Amino acid sequence: MSAMKLLVVDDSNIVRSRIARVVQSGALGEVTLIGLARNGEEALRAARQAAPDVVTMDLTMPEMDGLACIPAMLTLHPKTRILVISALDDKSTAIRALRLGAHGFLPKPFSDDSLRLALAGLLDHQR
Amino acid sequence: MAALKESDLRLFVDSVSRYFDVTSRIAPEITSAFLGVGTLPGHDFNGIVSFSGRFIGHVIVSLPAAALKELLLIQRETDLSRANLLDAVGEIANTLAGNARKALGKDLEISVPTVVHGRSGSETRTRKHPYVITFRWNTYPGMVCVDLAEVG
Repeated sequence: MSAMKLLVVDDSNIVRSRIARVVQSGALGEVTLIGLARNGEEALRAARQAAPDVVTMDLTMPEMDGLACIPAMLTLHPKTRILVISALDDKSTAIRALRLGAHGFLPKPFSDDSLRLALAGLLDHQR
Repeated sequence: MAALKESDLRLFVDSVSRYFDVTSRIAPEITSAFLGVGTLPGHDFNGIVSFSGRFIGHVIVSLPAAALKELLLIQRETDLSRANLLDAVGEIANTLAGNARKALGKDLEISVPTVVHGRSGSETRTRKHPYVITFRWNTYPGMVCVDLAEVG
């Protein structure tokens, strides 16, 4: 079984690093980080180099935000599964993200355990 | 322009508590909430998120370097550079502002955070007397300034 490919998209360096640490702790099985992107445009550039199995996607970002990036990402790679991780935790934003094609929604602030749980579900689906 | 209601302010108090509780498992103690007059009790690292739409103004999160370093270490972050401390305070401001939209309405537009190193960062003002929440987390002081006014 090959390693799952994960792309992390968030404009905060500390959030990107934190997600990377949880993924690289080994608790989620074999996962390869294929990129850490600061906005939607960087995410799409990374996804053109290698198709991610799972993407963690912030919503509020400069240049291209998450809600604009989700459909563009799915046009590039329809089988990619997207976990939105955002402080915009109102119901209408979550519904909008899911309607655009996201597969999960984790509100900020989040604990390492809740991140692990949310990612495990998406990764298991792809294996 | 109308002021925030007490319940709106409560939302920010709860949001501060939840942020530190979830990310560090150490709940902060809210030490005061008051209408700011004169110089605010700010600290060196400031994250500012601006609001537009139904409310205008901004929310400022202000913390000393030592608090941010401790918070990052608890999250197993080893890069305690100035850039990462600014990133951390910006992310806290972003989270509090984002969470607030649930109660203040979806028509609220929220900017990406700007970050300022230096006490002048806490002095941006929309209202003459913004709401100020002070707290103590893990022995360190902190401040959140809620400087919002409802339009219309």
